[in-house]
Amino acid sequence: MIRLFLLAWLAGQSPSPDAMQHIQAGLAARKQHQVETEIVEFRKATELDPALADAFVNLGAAYMEKGDYGAAITPLKRALEISSDLVVAHQFLGYALLEQGYAAEAIPHLQRVGALDALGVAQIETGQLNEAVATFSAALANRPNDPDLQYYLGHASGLLSKKSIDTLLATHPDSARAHQALAENYFVLRQMPQAEKEYLEALRLRPDLPSLHLELGQVYANSAQWPKAETEFRAEAKLRPGSAEAAYRLGAALLQQGKSHDALVELKRANELKPEMPETLYSLGKAASLAGDNATAEQSWLKVVELEKDTSIAAQSHFGLAGLYRKQGKTSQAQHEMQEFQKLQSTIGPPRSE
Amino acid sequence: MVRRFTRRNLLSLAGMAAAAPIFEVKPLRGIDFILQNSPTPKKFLIETMPGGVALFDYNNDGLLDIFLVNGGRITEALHVPENFDRANPRYWNRLYRQNRDGSFTDVTQAAGLANVGNGNYGMGVAVGDYDNDGYPDLFVTSYGKNVLYHNNGDGTFTDVTAKAGVAGGGWSVSAGFFDYNNDGLLDLFVTRYMEWDADHNKICGGDWHTYCPPSVFPATTCLLYRNRGDGTFEDVSARAGFTAKKGRALGVAFADYDGDGFTDIFVSNDGMQQYLFHNNGDGTFNECALESGAALTSDGKGLSGMGTAFQDYDNDGRPDVIVTVLPRELYGLYHNDGAGAFTYQSLETGLGALTSGSSGWGVGLEDFDNDGWKDLFVAQSHVLDNVQQIDASLRYKELPLLALNHSGHFERADSGATTPIAARGAAFGDINNDGFMDVVLTTLGGPPMLLLNRGSGGHWLSIMLRGTRSNRDGYGARVSVNGQIRFATSAGSYVSANDKRLHFGLGTAEKATVEILWPSGTKQSLNGVRADQFLEIREPEHP
Repeated sequence: MIRLFLLAWLAGQSPSPDAMQHIQAGLAARKQHQVETEIVEFRKATELDPALADAFVNLGAAYMEKGDYGAAITPLKRALEISSDLVVAHQFLGYALLEQGYAAEAIPHLQRVGALDALGVAQIETGQLNEAVATFSAALANRPNDPDLQYYLGHASGLLSKKSIDTLLATHPDSARAHQALAENYFVLRQMPQAEKEYLEALRLRPDLPSLHLELGQVYANSAQWPKAETEFRAEAKLRPGSAEAAYRLGAALLQQGKSHDALVELKRANELKPEMPETLYSLGKAASLAGDNATAEQSWLKVVELEKDTSIAAQSHFGLAGLYRKQGKTSQAQHEMQEFQKLQSTIGPPRSE
Repeated sequence: MVRRFTRRNLLSLAGMAAAAPIFEVKPLRGIDFILQNSPTPKKFLIETMPGGVALFDYNNDGLLDIFLVNGGRITEALHVPENFDRANPRYWNRLYRQNRDGSFTDVTQAAGLANVGNGNYGMGVAVGDYDNDGYPDLFVTSYGKNVLYHNNGDGTFTDVTAKAGVAGGGWSVSAGFFDYNNDGLLDLFVTRYMEWDADHNKICGGDWHTYCPPSVFPATTCLLYRNRGDGTFEDVSARAGFTAKKGRALGVAFADYDGDGFTDIFVSNDGMQQYLFHNNGDGTFNECALESGAALTSDGKGLSGMGTAFQDYDNDGRPDVIVTVLPRELYGLYHNDGAGAFTYQSLETGLGALTSGSSGWGVGLEDFDNDGWKDLFVAQSHVLDNVQQIDASLRYKELPLLALNHSGHFERADSGATTPIAARGAAFGDINNDGFMDVVLTTLGGPPMLLLNRGSGGHWLSIMLRGTRSNRDGYGARVSVNGQIRFATSAGSYVSANDKRLHFGLGTAEKATVEILWPSGTKQSLNGVRADQFLEIREPEHP
């Protein structure tokens, strides 16, 4: 890429004849992949014509081809002293500086040429995390499937999140939000007793803070303490009666305890608040089946297999339907659903245990 | 005023005291056994799987004796052919004879049960009178070769494995005697876990170094031996249909779930679907768990099946299945709906809420409080000895689970055990013949634990079957007492063998109606049977 860019750029220059001779020799050496010869020829050109910006750009480019980014910086800077509008010099210098760890110095050069990927990296390295997130988001808009960009956006977002939390912990260590942040961290690390302690402290400070009960409930659910999970989810559902997730989690906790009728009420409510969610519908089917409401169970699971084709939750719904039909004596329908379940199992693998 | 205490009053008071533990942890006087599983940093998978316990009356003196299976010595340098140092007394299996005062005497050496062979790491035990001579025989499973000991009736046993042809091989775990063809001779079924040896061991868990999950090793098949009646057995595994179904089998239990007169087999598999082998009555079996609804959870997920029980928990006359598993799953309860169909009912029965954080091994459905409903007891402990480092919400050592059955709904009760243990095997029986069921557990690296039932209420009846046309133990008989059903067997649980006597809690009933359907097809009824007795019932020789 560097070579093509240079050739195009040199076509518009007017070097002295002696310097031009060495530049052409350098370009010829480039074609032969003789990078050391390139460097000798372009350096000679700079000596013969110290005001010839293209000679310095070529020399810098040759060093970059060699991988010697440190050596490339001086001639590229000289080129920009001679002619500050040289876009290619800005680009090369930006990359070279970034490569050598001079991220802050690289940023204006990369901004000037719109090299978003390298600019985002430089912004991460200089702690400009908000800017980095914006830069990578813009880059991803143009190249949405680029895995490097996807990684860097996630990386920058994570760092930004951490920075924000660090600030929170430093400035307001005794706040409910600080305890919530610590609790979330412990939850990720599966250190449930510590997570529980922090959530309880957060709740003591701000009992009405949205999502605290929900998250604490998930701590309990994770360690199979279902009655406690039910209490927390119920508190969240009371606090936020419009939250489909709170209703769903409460329904699931009730279901785990075999309270199928209560679970059915909550899962129906979750489904009304946010319809056509496969997880809600699947659990709704399960609760209905346990509660003896076969019509709702069948309707819910059929909806899941309509929404989800080749997923494990579709497989589970086929399995549920098979059991339902078997109990109803609908043998051929039960067999059909079991076949669908087995077919999906063979393609996507068996549903995993929790 | 003097208050008169009627029997009802007393039972009511007993109910008021229900908060008191059902059991009392009692020392097993005279038993110095330590289960040597020999854990190593190499995490050889066999280390975490033993060992069995059998409650049986080997000398017919009316007292239950205890046989304990030992593991063996393992070092980090273990290689094929493995040597587990079983000649060393530290690693012997042990037989303890119960004395009249409730203490035990080690009779291992005198009984001829001392050295099981250095290449065999012990796993489990099955008990049955395979030659119908009136003395219970022992079958000991191992990683390596299994051993059949014939009870000579004089306090000694003889290793008859070679003659009988039941050594098997590979990694055998649970086993049980049953009469699959109703010919009056006990046959033998053996579960095998996986294809594994010391040279092909693996360590999992990254830096944590844990035992690997079963899926890391190839599956294998179970074994069925037909009793020829001349002291030898025929391996009919292929003909009967078992070699076609590979699995990772740990537990086995028997019952006739569809009432066709032939005993069926439930096999608990680890990390996959469970197996229900329907006895076709012609010497073959058909694995039908998936279509019967007894293979997976209600979510279509496999189970880490370890122990299993196959008895009727809800008194509807049909045997149901319970499977013990790892945490994050729920102990599986498959309700027998009739017509060959089962429904997963772990949630409805309350079992799910009691077990989602626990790991279960040995399991029994027995009426511990004699109220007429079979309760649940499970030996618990995680399979990984370092699980707490990996997941702080889990524990390696756990208390056993006692869940009392309230008309089909299980609720946790105080077992009386207060120290968490790494339990594996569990055998159930009335050790002190007081009419209340007791439990003996095995613990990895530790002594066995006796949970002696305090006996806090309810009438009872204990029945010992004496088959004549059927096998002498009456295994496979369907026994109904006041409408409750038990299937006669000493198998079930995990690597263990239970008291063969059939225990029934009668609640307030002082009389019982007993109905027996023998494996021979003979039906027998007894009316007005007095409660609170041990009753031997002999099968009519002429139907």
